[in-house]
Amino acid sequence: MSQIALFGLIASRLVSVPNYFQYYVSGLSVMTLYSAAVFIGFDIYEEAEHGVFEYLLSLPVTRRQLVLGRSIGGGLRAFIYVGPLIGVSLYVIGAINPLNFLVALFSLFLFAFGVSGLSITIAVMIKSSDRFDILMGILDALIVRLSTAMYPLAIVQASNPVYGWLTNFNPVTFVADLFRWGTGIDSAYFLLDNPLLPLLGVVAFFSFFTFLGVIIYERRIEGGGWQ
Amino acid sequence: MRGMGIVRMMEHDFRNFFRYKWWLVGLISMNLADLFIMAIVYNNMLDKTISAEIGGYFKFFAPGLAVTGLFASAFMIGREINMERRREVHHYMLSLPMTRFELAMGRVLSGGLRGMFYMSPLLATCFIFLGLPSFGQLLLILLVLFFLATGISGLSIAIAVSTSSLEKFITARGLVYYTLFFCSSVFYPLSLIQELGATGRFPSFLVTLAEINPLSSASDMIRSFLLPYPTFSWTMVINVVIFSVVFTFCAVFAYMKIIERH
Repeated sequence: MSQIALFGLIASRLVSVPNYFQYYVSGLSVMTLYSAAVFIGFDIYEEAEHGVFEYLLSLPVTRRQLVLGRSIGGGLRAFIYVGPLIGVSLYVIGAINPLNFLVALFSLFLFAFGVSGLSITIAVMIKSSDRFDILMGILDALIVRLSTAMYPLAIVQASNPVYGWLTNFNPVTFVADLFRWGTGIDSAYFLLDNPLLPLLGVVAFFSFFTFLGVIIYERRIEGGGWQ
Repeated sequence: MRGMGIVRMMEHDFRNFFRYKWWLVGLISMNLADLFIMAIVYNNMLDKTISAEIGGYFKFFAPGLAVTGLFASAFMIGREINMERRREVHHYMLSLPMTRFELAMGRVLSGGLRGMFYMSPLLATCFIFLGLPSFGQLLLILLVLFFLATGISGLSIAIAVSTSSLEKFITARGLVYYTLFFCSSVFYPLSLIQELGATGRFPSFLVTLAEINPLSSASDMIRSFLLPYPTFSWTMVINVVIFSVVFTFCAVFAYMKIIERH
């Protein structure tokens, strides 16, 4: 909230992008959602450290159900955490088209589940909390900054074509653009001609990491080796 | 020998610091991504009047980034002390053959020195892109940053010994972090905050906080030596020294008194 009230307000006077405050507030919701959904991976290490893993493995559920439940649970709790921020975004941005907003909300859900799946996949693949910490730090640094969460795509492309190319295929870009489209932010800098493309991108991201997560989780969950 | 306890504590804390090497690598990556991605993109969408005043966002942000890194790493000592308190390691620390003052002062100084150590590649990056200051200016920069790092370490320790759980410490850290960073000239020029305050769009107490904020003073002092904006003023140095003295005293006092009570 202080990031909106302080950084958002001052940064909107710093740049020449019209309606930047609204743009930033909506992007901040997506950035926070990403950070909150990643946390499920840290929980997995804590469970491994405290021996809760063995208890989870002894439960009468399949490995598949376990990872799907964790992925959806991680996504949902991230969504609950970011709920007030989304509320503030809606208050700041104002009018919305209900149908577009529902599509945007659906994409946010899928994104949160996908990020949880990504976090679980990486956590069980590397089984080292130190390596996980650094990898997620670097991933966070790149995935958020090389997206349209903080700045419009046209400006990223003008700054550096490589950054622009990477930003174009980033799931954070897909979901940030969809959220802005859903909330009806109006500016020449963030027109979204076809919301279907980013929506497909978010669905692909969700499917890939949820199902990859299931496969890897099933294979790597047993046998210890947690550091 | 008198004073050796301080050196021993500093050695202990430096060893601990390198246990977090992976975390530090992640933090440096984030800092560099801020500079080489975020600052470059912001450079291209900066308001023309502000751009003319500060000479581009990349150059403006580079000194702020060094201060950001200094803050994050100097604050880490508080997390360790809070953990020691929760796990009752402080009983062992109190049993060491050194005075309470040496124990407390050693921890404040090591927190500051760790901040300086972490910040040095970021400051070097800043010099590479902005040019070198004169020898005298370099010494003043290092001295002021050391005072700042010690003050931050002191602030972090004072919070760590006054909070009973990790959650409370993290909440307090978040509050301090966001207030000090966003109400400072680390990310944007002070003149912009003052302008917003003058037009009533920003509360006047936050404008005052930004003006006396040691993070503003340290960032602006480095900028004043490397960029045409802002003009150097001794007030910048005095702000940091006062902050450092106050929080070093608070931390030493709080550490000595509170830690014995538990």
